[in-house]
Amino acid sequence: MIITGRRKSLEACTEAGWDAFDILTREPLTDEDIESLRIAEGSFLYMRQLRKPFFKIESHNYIIKGVKGDPFFRFAVHRDHTDEVDKLIGALS
Amino acid sequence: MSLVYLNNAATSYPKPECVTEIAVRKMNALPSGQFRSAGILDDGDVFTECRQRIGHIIGTAEADRIFFSSGATESLNAIFIGLGINATEIITTVTEHNSVLRPLYNLPDIKGEPVLLPCDACGRVDPERFEAEAKKGRTKALVLNHCSNVNGTIQDAGAFGEIAAKYGIFFILDASQSAGCIPVYADEWRVDALAFTGHKSMLGLQGTGGYYIRSGIPFQPMRYGGTGLDSSRIRYDDGVYEYETGTQNAMGIAALSEAAGYILDTGIENIADREHSIREYTKERLEAIPGVHIIPAADECGPVISLVSDMLTPSDLAYILQNSYEIVTRAGLMCAPLIHKYIGSGDNGTVRVSFSCFQTTDDIDRLAEALREIHDNNG
Repeated sequence: MIITGRRKSLEACTEAGWDAFDILTREPLTDEDIESLRIAEGSFLYMRQLRKPFFKIESHNYIIKGVKGDPFFRFAVHRDHTDEVDKLIGALS
Repeated sequence: MSLVYLNNAATSYPKPECVTEIAVRKMNALPSGQFRSAGILDDGDVFTECRQRIGHIIGTAEADRIFFSSGATESLNAIFIGLGINATEIITTVTEHNSVLRPLYNLPDIKGEPVLLPCDACGRVDPERFEAEAKKGRTKALVLNHCSNVNGTIQDAGAFGEIAAKYGIFFILDASQSAGCIPVYADEWRVDALAFTGHKSMLGLQGTGGYYIRSGIPFQPMRYGGTGLDSSRIRYDDGVYEYETGTQNAMGIAALSEAAGYILDTGIENIADREHSIREYTKERLEAIPGVHIIPAADECGPVISLVSDMLTPSDLAYILQNSYEIVTRAGLMCAPLIHKYIGSGDNGTVRVSFSCFQTTDDIDRLAEALREIHDNNG
């Protein structure tokens, strides 16, 4: 997975009190990409039976979620732990 | 696959064709040298026309007491500041939007905290609870959310208005979710002030809206500035104020007037009936899906349904609907943070599905099929 950028999500309100970013990828997310995100700690949900499968990794301080085939995933993070975004991007690079 | 838009309680989409047409035409119109460059010479006084149409929609004969603003939030701030009442003298409800709650808890000139009336599990506020508080003699104003943006419950505004009048209490009605899609009778209900927005069921543009203040109520402007009238005047010592200061959103108001005309031509009762039918159809379809729970609402309710899921948070469910099925809803607390503990939706809020008069049953079928598929495939 090659990350091309990040943008502040317009939907941060859905995770009240948290910041949210859309992490942009060069190619649509594959199963392998989703698997690679599991370097982030947390519970893992993968609804692979859906028309466009949905995944979520959830820890105390952040939630990573997205849909297979989209060229981005959402990273919602508690405001005291926004460094987790850089940590994940660094680990994936 | 085309997108299904079910977030009309946030902002309505699509707009009637006549509304987008007039907005573009006004954008291209040559500004006039008079009337604050509002470009109105070719079409007559669109401001007065808009006030009159909105007067019909909100049920007041005092159309000249309707003032334009950027929307309901600015309107409510203007009302609270203009009345000069402390929060401790205000009764409001737990069903309110943050456009009411945040000004009341944060405006520097509004001291203290308001009294909050609870609601039942359907979001209904009991007028008798209001009367019990009113009897204590400490209240100067009631702020009532006419239609909940969370579950659609409509309050009995007439009953509240009667009690407010009996005890000499200003009655402020927040009609943000009702104006344009539910009959409102400001005069009959003895409403003293009413806030509305232009971009929801009024079918106008974002950044438009306004408020109504009954004549005879002492009311100071929130802002002072140019008005295009009597430029020699600097002080308002006589108490005859002007409320629309600065250059007005003439294009937005022209579009709002057109939208209001569309609503009146269609008939508010017809719009309400249409949206009620869609709501009932949606409720019936979604109630049949295991794992999906409709948040209760009163029998009298607007074009909104809130739901929660057994297996997904509202945030995740709305994300899946949007990104996997191209269905736009809204998730979370919906800027109405206090109602949720009463209606059983909790800290994560709900997924809200909200309709316009242009909604089709095909849209609802798409939603129902998506929800069924999501809940049939629980990974």
